Amino acid sequence: MRLVFLIVVIAVSMTVLAALQATTPPYAMLTGPIRTEGRQGETVSGTVFSAQIRQVQKAKTLAWDQFGRAVERQSSGTWVIVSAELQAMRETMPVRGATIIGTSGRLYHQSQRAQAAPNVLSAKTVQPGLPTTGIYIFEMPKEETRDMTLLLSRQYGPQLEDELAITLEQNGIVLREKMELGKNGI
Amino acid sequence: MASNRERKWFWLSLASLPVLLVVAFRINAWRNIEEYSRLSESEILTGNGNLDYAGALWRLENVRLIGDGRDTAQKFPGAMRLIVVRLVATAHDDIGKNWGQCQVSLTDDTGRRWLPLEVSLSNDISRDLEPKADPVNGCGITSLTPPKKSSAVMIEEKFVVPADAAPKLAAQLSFSASRPKAISLPLGL
Repeated sequence: MRLVFLIVVIAVSMTVLAALQATTPPYAMLTGPIRTEGRQGETVSGTVFSAQIRQVQKAKTLAWDQFGRAVERQSSGTWVIVSAELQAMRETMPVRGATIIGTSGRLYHQSQRAQAAPNVLSAKTVQPGLPTTGIYIFEMPKEETRDMTLLLSRQYGPQLEDELAITLEQNGIVLREKMELGKNGI
Repeated sequence: MASNRERKWFWLSLASLPVLLVVAFRINAWRNIEEYSRLSESEILTGNGNLDYAGALWRLENVRLIGDGRDTAQKFPGAMRLIVVRLVATAHDDIGKNWGQCQVSLTDDTGRRWLPLEVSLSNDISRDLEPKADPVNGCGITSLTPPKKSSAVMIEEKFVVPADAAPKLAAQLSFSASRPKAISLPLGL
């Protein structure tokens, strides 16, 4: 009788422990970003910064002037240029983390090939009370651009910090052959 | 068969487990709280004159508001303004390494906080404003070689702020060894 009781107690304990383990969220989720969702055109506000996406453009070639020299970058896929206005609510901060979730769910960080382009937002610092405008540039396969969501955060891999997830509109985006980037963006 | 002595120690160990767990949690929490207090500025000493902090007397030496065409001819677009703050610290103690991890910011009455421009940009602006003078170091560089007892040092920091916030700003300064204590000097613009 005592042996049966012991076996039952062990079996119940194992079941409870297995249930606890299966339902415990992973550490990465517990310490993950605090996500706020919105759509292009709206002001999407987190707790420390907000963003409004103004325009999305696609081009095969990007061009800009760098120290008086013309620079061109071509892509076998497509360049996606996102124009945004950022506002810091509490403290001076950068918004360096910008990623597009493509149609297949793959993540595309900003292109290193276009990091010297003018008016890139990840090179700027956002000051409270001073809205800051600029662009983020991504290089993606064409088929990944049918359905895009932009993720913005202070830095890549935010933990217990704001992350804005903004659905980008597909209407009216035309693939251009060449886009000139000026000091005022697009 | 366990002896009475072994049985006694078994129950004593089991009974002490909750106490040890509570003690372990408290020690861990105390360390975390101490670490958090080293990052936060919650005890702020405010004043217009000489403020005694981190082994020195601090005063506001000079404040410039640039971008509205009054201090210099330069006019910045929109509401953007540049504020140049100079602070002077006169050491009354041996400071040693107590000025590590300096934090300077401008704060307003709503809790917003502006951080200083980074060193290379700050030095470029200094050379534009006063081409013949050497740029004055910021708090980070000065804190590596703090002044000796009875001598003084000047630090300069530059901030980009919106014009409407300027009249309500105060310069806030703290060091790691002295936090959560900090000092705040209203700019009086």
